[in-house]
Amino acid sequence: MKQALHGVRVVEFSAGMAGPWIGRFMAYCGAEVIKVESRDYPDVTRLYVPPRNPELGIQPQLSPWFTDWNAGKRFVALDLAKKDAIDVAKRLVARSDVVVENYSAGVVDKLGLGYAALREVRPDLVMLGSSGYGATGPSRSYVTWGPNIEALAGLATLSGFPERECTITQYAYPDPLSAMHGLVAVMCALDHRLRTGESQYIDLSQFEVTVSAVGHVLLEYLSNGHEPRRRGNRALHAAPHGCYRCRGEDRWCAIVVASEAEWERFCDTTGHPEWAGDPRFADLASRLANVAVLDSLVEGWTSVRRDYEVMETLQAAGIAAGVVQNVEDQARRDPQLAARGFFEEIAHVKKGTVVATGIPLGLTGTPGRTGRAGAMLGEDTDYVFGEVLGMPADEIRRHVAAGIIQIQDQRAEQGEGSNGSSR
Amino acid sequence: MRSHTVPRAALAGRRVLELADEKGVYCGKLLADMGADVVKIERPGGDATRDIPPFWRDEPGRDRSLFYLYMNTSKRGITLDGTSAEGRDLLLRLAATADLVIETFAPGYLDGLGLGYQTLRALRPTLVFTSITDFGQTGPHRHFRSADLVASALGGAMHVTGGDADPPVTLAGFQANVMASTCAAAASLIAFYHAAQTGEGQHVDISIEETTAATTHVCGIGKWLDDGIVPRRGGTGLFASVPSGAYPCRDGLVYLMVNRPLHWKALARWIHEVTGVEAVLDRLFEGPSSNRLPHRDLLDVYIADLTQRFTVDEVYREGQRRHLAFTPVNSAPAVADDPHLAARSYFVEVEHRGAGRLRYPCAPYRHTETPWRIARPAPAAGEHNAEIYGGELGLSAERLRALQEAGVL
Repeated sequence: MKQALHGVRVVEFSAGMAGPWIGRFMAYCGAEVIKVESRDYPDVTRLYVPPRNPELGIQPQLSPWFTDWNAGKRFVALDLAKKDAIDVAKRLVARSDVVVENYSAGVVDKLGLGYAALREVRPDLVMLGSSGYGATGPSRSYVTWGPNIEALAGLATLSGFPERECTITQYAYPDPLSAMHGLVAVMCALDHRLRTGESQYIDLSQFEVTVSAVGHVLLEYLSNGHEPRRRGNRALHAAPHGCYRCRGEDRWCAIVVASEAEWERFCDTTGHPEWAGDPRFADLASRLANVAVLDSLVEGWTSVRRDYEVMETLQAAGIAAGVVQNVEDQARRDPQLAARGFFEEIAHVKKGTVVATGIPLGLTGTPGRTGRAGAMLGEDTDYVFGEVLGMPADEIRRHVAAGIIQIQDQRAEQGEGSNGSSR
Repeated sequence: MRSHTVPRAALAGRRVLELADEKGVYCGKLLADMGADVVKIERPGGDATRDIPPFWRDEPGRDRSLFYLYMNTSKRGITLDGTSAEGRDLLLRLAATADLVIETFAPGYLDGLGLGYQTLRALRPTLVFTSITDFGQTGPHRHFRSADLVASALGGAMHVTGGDADPPVTLAGFQANVMASTCAAAASLIAFYHAAQTGEGQHVDISIEETTAATTHVCGIGKWLDDGIVPRRGGTGLFASVPSGAYPCRDGLVYLMVNRPLHWKALARWIHEVTGVEAVLDRLFEGPSSNRLPHRDLLDVYIADLTQRFTVDEVYREGQRRHLAFTPVNSAPAVADDPHLAARSYFVEVEHRGAGRLRYPCAPYRHTETPWRIARPAPAAGEHNAEIYGGELGLSAERLRALQEAGVL
């Protein structure tokens, strides 16, 4: 069985997660994804220093983010400040279906790799530019990272406990969110191209993606003129609806009681049938009106139990409950993720193998797979320029000597970074 | 046969049947706003998602849930009781015209009605059948109950969101479902691509626990196995980037993140210029973020000393002029009035027949040839019954009436 995106070639000028994760998914589905880097501007995730061994300095191939978000791709490097390098990049694009870039807005245009230039060499090209603010508008050249976008898009003030002005995730939510929307956008354009042969450019603003993801919350202000309230883990449509402390250090379980029948079962299961008869909790409106008392009673029950016990007990009664899992819990204590083989062991050039987070596309007919983990800058110079472009070996050597095609100098890498001089 | 074709839409001509609760409605919206003919199939009287508060102008009503209105733009709506023999027959006839079915029932439920993937595939080999469920179609927890909050817990999002002394907390707006729906849309479109090449559809099995776990990957398994550190909540600063966080200005908060060595140098220069503090220029703080990690609290003091002297807008504009990633911590009104979004015409007014106009957040992406658009507001329950059952399947008006009275529609 051929993989779903077999035959699709993608060229990526990208860094971080919002751009690279698109190619990661496409490569997993069988596309050939070629990541073009520049030695002077390496992907920011290559600036990784192992926290337990900082004396090693920057370890561009050991970054767990780089190796994962760029798994399954081919790696070449070009000095994009040189015109000859731009010509080589265009030759690559001429043999490709999709270009994904997430440099700051306007950068690829300045380099001569903008949509207009690339469409000349590939008339049915699909190109996605992903940036913080989008390709147009007064703030288009502003610099942002994932958490900036959480703040900018209102997510940080709409979320969290009422007494906290600003709530931020540690996982840079707008990055994966924008990457997935970017993948949808590219696949829509490819679907259109299949039927029409038409090229197009997609301007993705991570700011707008994130506002769209909370569009229904923002609609409360747009329609009713008042600011949506921060509710923490509470909800207007269910109670109990919260995250309750369990036995142990920083252990919690989320519980959602979604109907009156579930509320009765909850009271029975927890051994508190008297709650079901308590007028303060007689129906949803009453439970919402007395939610602080309700939550403290629930926490009285959970806090003397282990989190997984709370989950199993309530699930056995048909009530939604789930442990607030950290990554170790997911890897070691989650039979569901284990049974579905969510984590994937993949080859890594220096470590032998690394474990990658699953790609949750669920394509049962064409299951994807992850090739080699993200590798060295310029790792695939011979394959990409030799086999994909058909460039003779002596021409590749000439370009390397002239600094147009860049390869990683192994010795330089060993010493790199300890003085922190890298950009 | 199609009663409407929108020219210049990426997914024009693609038909989608949506049998989805809150887990999958955003998947249908993503496809509908790109021009797919998404037919939303609700139970007679309309789905429970119509009752999700809050409501338009704070007046409850089955066509007034803001969640429902936002999540169902550009779709057509019909009603159907799939548990009745007539309802099943109608659904099979519709499925024979579809490219995609989106469903969010418990695993096995549609199979039990004789409406599962294998049955539909026999009628339509190219069909893509996308199931969005809490835990997926397989595994020991496949029948566990869940909700957006529970998925955010199990998927690892809550453990790493919020203040370090606070309980774990979830994001506004059911983001586990949003992300699961987005992955489902991407997977469905990838399956379209494959079906176009090979003539073969497939079953797409989306697990919300898994899409959430993948979303939190910055804090995920690769990093943990590498350094042995289990990330947890850390306030507003990102664990891997020093400095980063929300800083006070004269009139609100500004967010800053420094990731590259040259950005730190630019920030240190600015702090020094304004505050005169020499120590901030120490070479000890230069280089990759890890060099600054032991000094995080001290650097935060230096930065607050800078930001507190200005308004949010001053720090934002001057910081960005210096290529520093400063952004305002925006409230909902500030987002609604944002000048950049206004310049890009981000918000669009949509006319609701009889109910007035409502301003909507608009496109998450801009295609030059096939622009995103809201083709119509969310449908009333069964709004397109006559158009689809009558106009497309050829049911007579009497038959429609009879089915309606029998509670099938």
